[in-house]
Amino acid sequence: MPLKIIVGIKWVPNTTSVNIDPKTGTLIREGIPSVVNPHDLTAVEMALKLKDRYGGTVTAISMAPPSALAGLEHVIGMGVDRGILASDRAFAGADTLATSYVLSKVIEKIGEYDLIIMGHETIDSSTAHIGAQVASWLRLPYVYYAVDIEYNEQDRSIIVRRMLENAYETYKVYLPAVVSIAMHTYEPRRVKVSNKLRAKTEDVIQVWTSKDLDIDINCAGLRGSPTVVSAIDFVPKVPRKNLVFKERDPKKAAKWLIDQLIQEGLLEL
Amino acid sequence: MKHIEKRFDAIVVGAGPAGATAAYQLAKMGYKTLLLERGRTPGSKSMFGGRVYIRPLKDIYEDFEKKAPIHRWVKKERISLVYDESATTIEYTSNKTTSFTTYLTQLSHWMANQAVEQGAILLTEIRVDRLYKEDGRYRGVVVEDEVVKSDVVIDAEGINRLLLEREGIVEKLSPDHVALGVKEVIKLEPDTINNLFGLDNNEGLSWILMGDVTDGIPGGAFIYTNRDSVSLGIVVLLGEAARRIDRHIYILVEELRNHPLLYKYFKDGRIMEYSTHLIPEDPSRLMPKKLYYDGLMIVGDAAGLLLNQGYTYRGVDFAAYSGYIAAKAYEKAHGNGGASEENLKIYQKMLEESFVMKMLRKFSSVSRLMKKERLFSTYPQLINLLASKLMHIEYDSYKLKEAFDEARKGRVGLIHIIKDLWEVSRKL
Amino acid sequence: MTTETEVKKRKISRIEDILNNDVWDVDYEPHIIVDYSKCRECEWKPCIRLCPAECYTMVGGEVLFSYEGCLECGTCRVICPEKAVKWEYPKSGRGIHFRFS
Repeated sequence: MPLKIIVGIKWVPNTTSVNIDPKTGTLIREGIPSVVNPHDLTAVEMALKLKDRYGGTVTAISMAPPSALAGLEHVIGMGVDRGILASDRAFAGADTLATSYVLSKVIEKIGEYDLIIMGHETIDSSTAHIGAQVASWLRLPYVYYAVDIEYNEQDRSIIVRRMLENAYETYKVYLPAVVSIAMHTYEPRRVKVSNKLRAKTEDVIQVWTSKDLDIDINCAGLRGSPTVVSAIDFVPKVPRKNLVFKERDPKKAAKWLIDQLIQEGLLEL
Repeated sequence: MKHIEKRFDAIVVGAGPAGATAAYQLAKMGYKTLLLERGRTPGSKSMFGGRVYIRPLKDIYEDFEKKAPIHRWVKKERISLVYDESATTIEYTSNKTTSFTTYLTQLSHWMANQAVEQGAILLTEIRVDRLYKEDGRYRGVVVEDEVVKSDVVIDAEGINRLLLEREGIVEKLSPDHVALGVKEVIKLEPDTINNLFGLDNNEGLSWILMGDVTDGIPGGAFIYTNRDSVSLGIVVLLGEAARRIDRHIYILVEELRNHPLLYKYFKDGRIMEYSTHLIPEDPSRLMPKKLYYDGLMIVGDAAGLLLNQGYTYRGVDFAAYSGYIAAKAYEKAHGNGGASEENLKIYQKMLEESFVMKMLRKFSSVSRLMKKERLFSTYPQLINLLASKLMHIEYDSYKLKEAFDEARKGRVGLIHIIKDLWEVSRKL
Repeated sequence: MTTETEVKKRKISRIEDILNNDVWDVDYEPHIIVDYSKCRECEWKPCIRLCPAECYTMVGGEVLFSYEGCLECGTCRVICPEKAVKWEYPKSGRGIHFRFS
């Protein structure tokens, strides 16, 4: 039986490019283009690798305003079969709980699936909540920080290798299951012109609103979001000494660096 | 190589002003058009100085002046000759205007959207690797290991003509045939801009600076006011820059921003974007021998279709118009049985008869004029010395003749001045 | 009028700080490959001063190229006297993303 894979993507501001106004100290948001969360592209790549190896389908899902269609077009360009965007004003202002709720409802509506793959976290909020929460809503097993997945067709299970700080763990998990992928495990493949053309000319992207989904409106959007951001404190700037070692001898450089660190009380020998 | 089933009448490579306009016109005439853009969005790789002449665009796009992303109408034109910390400026103000300021990123995006509205299919993030040939005719493009086919290809790839080079249609660019533009876009509130430059809300300023602004490298500087930002940049002839530059090119722009005469304009601004682009400088040498081949037409910067008028560039209107003509030419060729070389000849003919080629021929010697040391170096110095003699009065005052002789002493002979004046008036 | 204190405040920004205002989606593969063996033969090295993004720097007497901050103008390709620059545009929508130019 080929694998039916669902992969979650988030359309995020390219935070690598967000600057702080030196005068006001606030973020400059003007004109920051959005991208598919890079860690989700890793998840998409994992899904496509599994599809290449075992056959099946990959469906990308996202919850976002309509501008995120460009993100779904991008992953369809990479080879994802179809995209579903959950988009509704009622979903606005969601924290991770309300987001994972809507995504789980999207997955329930898709109905037939074996494996749900997520990126480990997003570059704009870094909570790493969504995978675990979607698994909870759907009452599915969840393995996170996976670097490799093998599929066993006989007993419909996967062998997941999980990366720890100094070891790998291997799990056998019966499907359906949720897996989030460790950052930078794979480089995402390039878009193909045939796939991009399919995204534009064939009916492969659907937009679902709250009406299309069996949703308790009190669990979605701002209403379904218990998280409150009470204040944001900036980390105080640490003064830098800016010392430069100018000679070329690496041994001397290492010695010099160690001496400096000891002097600063940052290193004990 | 995988051949994609879907076939198009026309594939346009590049969604800049030339390509987007060609696609717009083709789709409008009912042709199945595919517009391919390597950037994430159309316009995301676009850059220019800052001003567009509107008249030709009004022929192409309906209600252009109402719908296009226009920042400010240029109603104030300044040309300054700079020497050291002084400048002599000509300013022309009029309520009549024929040009506007904008971001090319926005204008390209808008034009591509117009093409999509007419039914063109726009694919972004697609970098075309090669033109595709079948039996010696251009019949599509290659992207990685896939081929998309079409009856005709319009090459609007821009100044770095990688595709045309690969086909042997053009040679590699020479540094002496292009200029390098580098600019900073500086954020300022609209009211601040209005106050600083003496403008009303929708009024814009175009300011060209020549002389002591490019470290003695032939070229000049420009300032354009956008809605809530000011574009500030330099243009230098690349070959000359390579030979003469003795510090990093960005410092030239930064020194301009910090120039004693200009600092007051930018001191409250912050840099929003820093961008750079090559500019066709010498169309007579850059232009491919032919702009049409069997199944292929070349438009915009790729064809070298940019007019350097000495004190202003015309790029966007020339590019767009060439795209427009290419689309019209395809219609004629189609009516005559297809996009054969013979049938596409009409493109070059229509271009020759249009203002595009007429103007390029008329100003063909400007780029050589730009290299004359005296023009961008000696005369700005001379004029400012003359002005300083006349204006900086302490005890004694100068008569005009006295001041003039004093200013040009040891710098340039009278006979040279007369010859240069004659040459400039003829070529510009 | 520009006051004396403002004259003192004027300063040339560092190129890193200027470039910091731009947006890239950096590709994981370089789109430009420089043949350093040719750079060693080259005395002129116009790339060092003319690459507007200062992608070419001198480190320990050798040219070092980094593609990440490239603005895709093509200057290095055109001016390199040794033809040491293998130059392509980035794939898949990667690279510089201009917004206000």
